[in-house]
Amino acid sequence: MMLLPILMAVYAAEDDTSLAARMQRRDPQALAELYDRYGRVTFSLIVRVVRDAGIAEDLVQETFLRVWNRVHGFDAQKGSLGPWLLAVARNRAIDYLRTAGGRDRQLREFEEPEPARYCDMEKDILSSDNARRVKSAVEKLSSEQRQVIELAYFEGLSQAEMAERMGQPLGTVKTWVRAALKNLREELGAVVPA
Amino acid sequence: MNCIELREHYELYAIGVADELERSEIRAHLNRECEVCMQGIKRAREVMALLGGTAPPAAPSAGLRRRILASVGVEQHRFGWAPFLAAALALALFAAVYFGGRERDLANELARVREQNSQQTIELTAVNQAFAILTGADTTVTTFGDGQAQPKGKVFVSRSQGVLLIAGNLQPAPSGKAYEMWIVKDGKAKAAGMFQSAPDGSAMHIQRGTVENADAVAVTLENEAGADQPTSTPLFAARIRALAQ
Repeated sequence: MMLLPILMAVYAAEDDTSLAARMQRRDPQALAELYDRYGRVTFSLIVRVVRDAGIAEDLVQETFLRVWNRVHGFDAQKGSLGPWLLAVARNRAIDYLRTAGGRDRQLREFEEPEPARYCDMEKDILSSDNARRVKSAVEKLSSEQRQVIELAYFEGLSQAEMAERMGQPLGTVKTWVRAALKNLREELGAVVPA
Repeated sequence: MNCIELREHYELYAIGVADELERSEIRAHLNRECEVCMQGIKRAREVMALLGGTAPPAAPSAGLRRRILASVGVEQHRFGWAPFLAAALALALFAAVYFGGRERDLANELARVREQNSQQTIELTAVNQAFAILTGADTTVTTFGDGQAQPKGKVFVSRSQGVLLIAGNLQPAPSGKAYEMWIVKDGKAKAAGMFQSAPDGSAMHIQRGTVENADAVAVTLENEAGADQPTSTPLFAARIRALAQ
């Protein structure tokens, strides 16, 4: 589990707001600090997806460069870079999987995450208590539910692809996916306030 | 579709498995900055961000950070080793200076000892030469300057060994000057070497070689380079022919 590094990163001495502002002023040291804060988490996420350390490092580099090049679209007053960075990282990794596997890109959500929509995200959710709750919430899912969440999140499969992979009817897979997401939403209701 | 209808699809959208119809509707709401959908999607993305943290921990190589920073034009220095390298360099420089200095000291001391040894060798040789003249079977001695405040001393002449001059009251020669000894025969002076007196006025000078029928030994003050013939009045002279024969 990588929740603790996320928490440590988020509650580092300098918050993401000032870090983003410094990156917008093109301060290279801010990029270094961003890497120090999120590099390990980002790498862990990507290597979980692509399962190759060398490729994962290339994708981590692409991720940080993409954030560096697009940080002007980030709202530094409200923003926190972590979730945006992780979304970019996940997309880069799944893009790679799709390209390497010859799959067509079908999921609109995997288009470039817009930084302005990742404002102020982790302030309410990233605490050690909540980290334990996330872990607990995932563990409470049934094996099928956990499997479809992992296939969707870490491999970027569509529901039809999951059905094919699992040898299950599409309707069954959709039921598992909706149930899993509902359970996560309910379990994490306090973590992710309305 | 309205926001209530889309509410059940926020997580599906965020994780990337929403159907095309719901996905298009949500995008449309987001594009017109629908507050309800923006808030809902934001919360759904928060859950996804947390899921990203459930990946097993893994560590990238140490060079990745440098690679990333280099790609934006930042030259990274390896500060981790820099202090140690700097300390090692400083220590090496210190050692080089210290031992270099020690080596120079030792070299200087060795040179000084060698010089001293050389000087002693010269003096010992001179003493041996003087002793050979003094003890020569054919050596005669002439005293000069007795009772005078001027230079005085003795001249030892050995036909086979050479001439030994021992003098006192011989003031140190002025700067650029030196004393030159002459062996006079038949009214002609032959140069017999340069010498200096000691600060106390004493002097010893030896001219090695055979001495045949010399009339006198004289000393003049000459330039340090020496002269082929005397250029000044002799400071003193000792007649030796009659005594030597």
